[in-house]
Amino acid sequence: MTEPVKSDGNPDVTREFVTTPGSGMQTWLGESVPLRPSAGLPTKNRSELSGHLIVLEGTDGSGRSTQIALLTEWLESQGFAVQTMGLRRSFLIAKDIDSLLARNSVTRYTLALMYATDFFDQLENRILPALRSGMIVLADRYYYTLIARAVVRGLDHEYLHRIYELALPPDLTFFLNVRPQVAFEREFQKSPAISFWEAGRDLHLSDDLYDSFISYQTMLRKEFVSLAKHHGFAALNGENPIRTVNADLRKRIASYLGIRNIRYRPSHALVHLWQ
Amino acid sequence: MATSSTALESAARPEEKRAKPPARPYSGALVVVEGIDGSGKSTQLHLLKRWLEVGGYRTYFTEWNSSPLVKSATRRGKRRRLLTPVTFSLIHAADFADRYERQILPLLRSGHLVLADRYIYTAFARDGARGCPIEWLRNLYRFAVVPDVTFYFRAPLEIAIHRILSGRPRIKYYEAGMDLGLSLDPIQSFAKFQGLTLARYDEMVPTDNFVLMDGTLPVHQLQQKMRDVVAEQIELKRYKNL
Repeated sequence: MTEPVKSDGNPDVTREFVTTPGSGMQTWLGESVPLRPSAGLPTKNRSELSGHLIVLEGTDGSGRSTQIALLTEWLESQGFAVQTMGLRRSFLIAKDIDSLLARNSVTRYTLALMYATDFFDQLENRILPALRSGMIVLADRYYYTLIARAVVRGLDHEYLHRIYELALPPDLTFFLNVRPQVAFEREFQKSPAISFWEAGRDLHLSDDLYDSFISYQTMLRKEFVSLAKHHGFAALNGENPIRTVNADLRKRIASYLGIRNIRYRPSHALVHLWQ
Repeated sequence: MATSSTALESAARPEEKRAKPPARPYSGALVVVEGIDGSGKSTQLHLLKRWLEVGGYRTYFTEWNSSPLVKSATRRGKRRRLLTPVTFSLIHAADFADRYERQILPLLRSGHLVLADRYIYTAFARDGARGCPIEWLRNLYRFAVVPDVTFYFRAPLEIAIHRILSGRPRIKYYEAGMDLGLSLDPIQSFAKFQGLTLARYDEMVPTDNFVLMDGTLPVHQLQQKMRDVVAEQIELKRYKNL
């Protein structure tokens, strides 16, 4: 490393470094590093984004992931490029959140802020690039879930809303509303045991896991209903059959994107989801 | 919010804070040193700690960025240069929250004199220099109590930079603010980034009750001032070991 040094022995910090533009790379201690186009804040400027962000929100067991699988296939069959996104999937920090949750030794602000880190990492490195290139991003939950979970744990709304005010709001948000009892049946079909976090056991609501699950999901649902009202989500009855909910979603998305044909039958690979 | 004594509120409404001192939910006291690298703050806090320990006070020292909890993510993000201004700020806030909730606040609640080498103002200055809006940063950290005394060590940029560069073989990527594209040369970038950070600190002097410390003064003279201020602002006898 060569340091510019003035005659008095101090490094010369006033000398301007001349760069060669256009290479897209910079040199850092002898190694080449790509210049970060994302330096700065995540954009909220729609004119830079030709794609569309569509979010499905709802409690555990509301059928979000099933609907996302079906919508992805439908939109791709209509010729749209689709990128999906979900919570705790960032390269940066997802694994660390998993191990924290497993150890159950984390405090509420720390957990909320780690989820926020995970969210913004995906927003900046996945969602915004996809939207810039004109893709449809289907998000299996967005920051609303993170707000609802943290509020239920005693953090205040304003604190969380102000953290997420740097994030792009969705173009369309659907809320799949189901009663906790129905959600429980569905979750139990998926895996034959209820998890610590699904039951909100960290909140010490009840030692009975069923009671705990129902109480926790009821609290979350209340938050979602209030978020839905404030942010203008399209609320759908998630207890309807999957194909009914899917037809409703397709109708609304088609009208937003200007797709005329909303007829759809899942392929052989997804037909098992079609009830 | 559970406490009314928060950084956000005190800065947003300074007149209100003076009119109605917030109730403290803890019996401890918090002394903070802030300033850019090479300002001499860590040396001074070390000497203050010695003085308090030898004097027989219940003292605890804590420093920025020492929680093992998010260390692996922070290391991964820094090594692979994945961090943006927002995720850099959030991951450090998560780290601070862990230390705050599990260490600083319990110590304050149990009546300790807590000495912190850097506190929330480090994030305001450094992440602010990276382009995060200051109101966003103040909100992010508003769960943290306002310190009893905040010493701001200020040395001219050239002196601070010289101190750092002469003591270190290389400056790390994010430390030099290389992610901002200020310069392709790490030393140049480091100098510019420290300059931006220093300007953010200076802006907080009136709003955040900083005790300004001239980092060019002799060590023992600064330390005497520090001890005088601590003795004046904090009722030290409450923290005597039994």
